[in-house]
Amino acid sequence: MSALVDVQAADGLPRARSPALVGALTLLLIAGPFISLAFATHWSTFHFAPGDMGSIGVSLGYSLIALVLIIALGTPLAWWLARQSFPGKWMLEALILLALLTPPLAMGILLTTLYGPYGPVGGLVTDAGVELTNSAPAFVLAQFYGALPYYVVAARAAFEGVPRELEHIALTLGKSPWQTFWLVSMPLARLGLAAGIALAWVRALGEFGIVLILAYYPQGIPVKLWVNLQDIGLSAVYPLLWVFFLVAMPLPLILGLASRRQGLF
Amino acid sequence: MRIDYSVDYPVRLQASFEVEGFTVLLGQSGEGKTTLLRAIAGLLPAQGEPFGGLLPQHRAVGYLPQGYALFPHLRAWENVAFALPRGPQRRAQALELLARVRLVDVADHYPTALSGGQQQRVALARALARKPQLLLLDEPSSALDAATRDEVMAELISEMHEFGLPALAVSHDPHLAALADRVAVMSGRRIVQHGSPDEVLSRPGSAAVARLLGHRNLFAARVAGHETDAGITLLQWEAANGITLRLPQQSELAAGQLVQWMIAPTAVRLPSLKPDLHRSDNPVTGRVESRLNLGVHFQVALRCGTERLWLAAPSNLVRHHGLETGCEVTVDLRSDGLLCWPHLG
Repeated sequence: MSALVDVQAADGLPRARSPALVGALTLLLIAGPFISLAFATHWSTFHFAPGDMGSIGVSLGYSLIALVLIIALGTPLAWWLARQSFPGKWMLEALILLALLTPPLAMGILLTTLYGPYGPVGGLVTDAGVELTNSAPAFVLAQFYGALPYYVVAARAAFEGVPRELEHIALTLGKSPWQTFWLVSMPLARLGLAAGIALAWVRALGEFGIVLILAYYPQGIPVKLWVNLQDIGLSAVYPLLWVFFLVAMPLPLILGLASRRQGLF
Repeated sequence: MRIDYSVDYPVRLQASFEVEGFTVLLGQSGEGKTTLLRAIAGLLPAQGEPFGGLLPQHRAVGYLPQGYALFPHLRAWENVAFALPRGPQRRAQALELLARVRLVDVADHYPTALSGGQQQRVALARALARKPQLLLLDEPSSALDAATRDEVMAELISEMHEFGLPALAVSHDPHLAALADRVAVMSGRRIVQHGSPDEVLSRPGSAAVARLLGHRNLFAARVAGHETDAGITLLQWEAANGITLRLPQQSELAAGQLVQWMIAPTAVRLPSLKPDLHRSDNPVTGRVESRLNLGVHFQVALRCGTERLWLAAPSNLVRHHGLETGCEVTVDLRSDGLLCWPHLG
């Protein structure tokens, strides 16, 4: 092993070589699929299949709506879990973990049972004229269920990272609890919340299992990729795959890099 | 301002005392000093006056917790402006407050770029912006360097005097008590003594208070009896070869009773340069065990039987007597400097 630790780092301590070698290999494994996509794409005959553009609109539009709903409903829940302690709280935590850990396919089946035309909720809203399967609301609902637990877990951790003392000080400085939340808790939790939003965005946009069962139509990018793969073949999915990366990645990459750069103060 | 509070949870405590100028509440860790401050600030359930029953945001207190709790996402001036109403004058008002604590030049710095003393003064300016009637400081000297602590604290105290606000600082640091206008001592989760620093430091009300104040010459003895005519009480200091000590009469002590007594190191006198000007009250002979040179005076530890007695004396006197380690000397314990309490437990 001595040969592997003979490199001196800038701080004068011996720097092990073996983690760097294994790390480089792991990075290569991670980069491999993306590099192969670049080589496999037929750039000279790059074209979209019919319906691809529509699926991009469906994915972007409905994911955005789902994201807004997730933030609006998930943030108060995350705050409540981070700041209140009460008997039986562990059951609520277990429930959120259960939603997080349920495989998408199973969640799709559960949602169809509840919101499908013969389900207890589905039956009621069908009477009111709203379809909760194979419709725009169903699509948003599928994305909402797929991404919400990830956001709640991340946002809760972000709120827990805000020192209680700073919130208390804000109170002693004459601010109401509501003002304290907006002036102290939110700004201090913002990086963790941003990570939660980025995670929820990627989960919602990439949701396939739940969408496949609850809302095969309207087709968003994941389902359209699947359909193209079935109907035309592997080479036909590459253009839409590129677009998928282009629309899905900027938000989380920017938020992720920003939080890495700034550190947590 | 009179403070009268009782708390049941997380610790049960009761405190009732007067805050005048810069008041220090001394107590060991675990006495619930922080709990008391948080109770006065309204941050935990408690009964008492002032501010009883008000929500924390409606209490006119400036609370400076340990570590100061500046908002890390706000610059120094924004921290100060936090409590100020929104408006065009906000920054100007914040800068004015920063000027009062002499920190205008770091107004645009974030808290992480400030020293401990600077953070403390920003926290003070922020608390003042709220126009408090009472300042609460939790261990204000604990996060400061030993080298600059007294200076920073003296400056902080003089600033608070300028603002004319009563301030209550809780601490376990007897140094801070010496700088205060008034001292209260907490022991057993209640106030056991209060008064001016001179009174409290020179005449602690119990052995526990003496220990808290950092007094070193604290010993056990037994009451040998009273000489009522001469108005003295006799103690037998068994640990130091059973020598007898004489102190002003304390009739409440019964003969044979176990007591604790103390004497300030400055009341342990070396023989005078001009001999026999006055007679010795309590001659005690000991062997010099160690010497600490503190510049103009020395602290000398004398071994007396199984105990160690400290004396503080001017350097010239110590040199005159040639007090080297190992040599024997007879000192005088001044009767009026001896304090004595019944032994508890």
